[in-house]
Amino acid sequence: MMADGRLLGRVALYGVAWLTLAFILMPLVFVTWLAFFAQEIPSFPPEGYSLKWFGAIAGNRNFVTGFTTSLQVAVAATLIGLLIAVPASLILARRQFAGSAVLNQFLLLPLVVPGVVMGTSIYVFQIETEIATGLPILGSLGGLVAGHTLLVIPWTVRLVTASLTGLDRAAEEAAQSLGANQWTTFFRVTLPAIRPGVVAGALFGFVTSFGNLEMSLFLVGPGRVTLPIAILQYLEWKIDPTVAAVSVLQILLIAVAMIITDRYVKLARVV
Amino acid sequence: MAAVSSRPVGEPGNLTAAGLLVPATIFVAIGLMVPIAILFRYSLNAFVPGQLMVDALTIDNYVKFFTDPFYLQVLWRTVRVAVACTVFCLLFGFPLAYVLARTQSPYKNLLVMAIVLPLFVGNAVRAAGWMVAFGSKGFVNSTLMGMGVISQPIEIMYTEMAVVIGIIAVNLPFMVLTLQSVIEGIDRNVEEAAFSLGAPPMTMATRVLFPLALPGILAGVILTFILAMNAYATPVLLGGPKFQTMGPLVFSTFAQQNNWPFGGAVSFILMTATLILTIASSLLIRRRYA
Repeated sequence: MMADGRLLGRVALYGVAWLTLAFILMPLVFVTWLAFFAQEIPSFPPEGYSLKWFGAIAGNRNFVTGFTTSLQVAVAATLIGLLIAVPASLILARRQFAGSAVLNQFLLLPLVVPGVVMGTSIYVFQIETEIATGLPILGSLGGLVAGHTLLVIPWTVRLVTASLTGLDRAAEEAAQSLGANQWTTFFRVTLPAIRPGVVAGALFGFVTSFGNLEMSLFLVGPGRVTLPIAILQYLEWKIDPTVAAVSVLQILLIAVAMIITDRYVKLARVV
Repeated sequence: MAAVSSRPVGEPGNLTAAGLLVPATIFVAIGLMVPIAILFRYSLNAFVPGQLMVDALTIDNYVKFFTDPFYLQVLWRTVRVAVACTVFCLLFGFPLAYVLARTQSPYKNLLVMAIVLPLFVGNAVRAAGWMVAFGSKGFVNSTLMGMGVISQPIEIMYTEMAVVIGIIAVNLPFMVLTLQSVIEGIDRNVEEAAFSLGAPPMTMATRVLFPLALPGILAGVILTFILAMNAYATPVLLGGPKFQTMGPLVFSTFAQQNNWPFGGAVSFILMTATLILTIASSLLIRRRYA
């Protein structure tokens, strides 16, 4: 009787769990399905299947330039973010000083400030800076990169500090006692050891930047779109297999990034 | 030689340490905190049509929001949608998080990837998926009509239900991953102990598992609630132009009406409302299970 209750409980548990997983994946399944439809109108059942829509992407200027812009911005923001966040993470993970915990939380802040609020704030900031300096910032590629760098910093800090906490100091001490100087020790011992964290931080930062919509909406200038904005604007007008095909490309790109990350750090441990 | 080894490796001098911390700190301070402060200052300015923003020190923008039934309704709709989404995320997310945390399967990493992938794919793409399903000739309507359940397509697109479903799907991964990490830390033996003392599964869950998982439940609820309150792409695409929530309202006030002071005020009201309701909900959950 008791065992029956537990069995029933398990069946219900697994049933709900699998349904939930299916629910999470459902939008991706539908959008991928539509990308292969033969007809343009998303009506079911499809009249046939075709690959032509992937070719149609190239004919849409917004998607092409959006993809290029997103790629440029994400790469630049990731590099700058790593350059300033990795050194900070090294200190934060290894030193206890007054306010170190607060500082750590502070650098993670861009993860919790809502996208729309970040977008509006940075928008008015860039306007004020433009007025003060006379430099064209708002709507420029640099302004967009600066905003996106804010998205990369918290991921890098989070993943690099996590990979440092488990690191044994003995290897570095051994290197130094064998005569290596600080720089050699850093590049030959510390950096290889935290490489998984750096790679994961870079990929998460890249993916977050590439997929960002809310903040970018405020920061793009006339004639410049990122891929998520191009997709949103297209969808506000209509849904058809072309936009679905672009979406499939984005899904693939991110899936590849995830699989690479997983080779360095087990995803289950870092998200 | 002695000077080098007197200092532990990987631990640079104080000056170097400060030098390594400063760039990131300044970047976040100037890139995020200063902008938020400026936005707040803007929200106290006045808006004169034709002249755009005029320097002032007034709370008119906030008064305007809280005295206009239209804006109050937008806020109320946003809160209602966010609460519904958070409750459903917790209800459906917990079983999946539990299975994920306790599984011995060699494919666990694949499972995690299946949950993380949609999270990074972006809200517009996922909304597109639901548009395929919900349209008048979409999957749901075609299937139901094919089975003879309905004779006319039912309206799903541009309803509150579509938005709620969309946001639940967007936020579920966050809830599942947050809960999973906490459940993994709970010793399996306490569950077995409850069972061996004769507790049915639901009793075990409510009396043992939920109280122990409380920190994760709190973190997950807070995260998904914040995200639901601030949703943008999902309400725009699945709710349509008439379904106004706070996120789209901020954008249209700013970018389409160019009313920066009022847009700033709406941003701050959204942030404050999110904060207050987050604190209230965490107090409520603590009281329930403490």
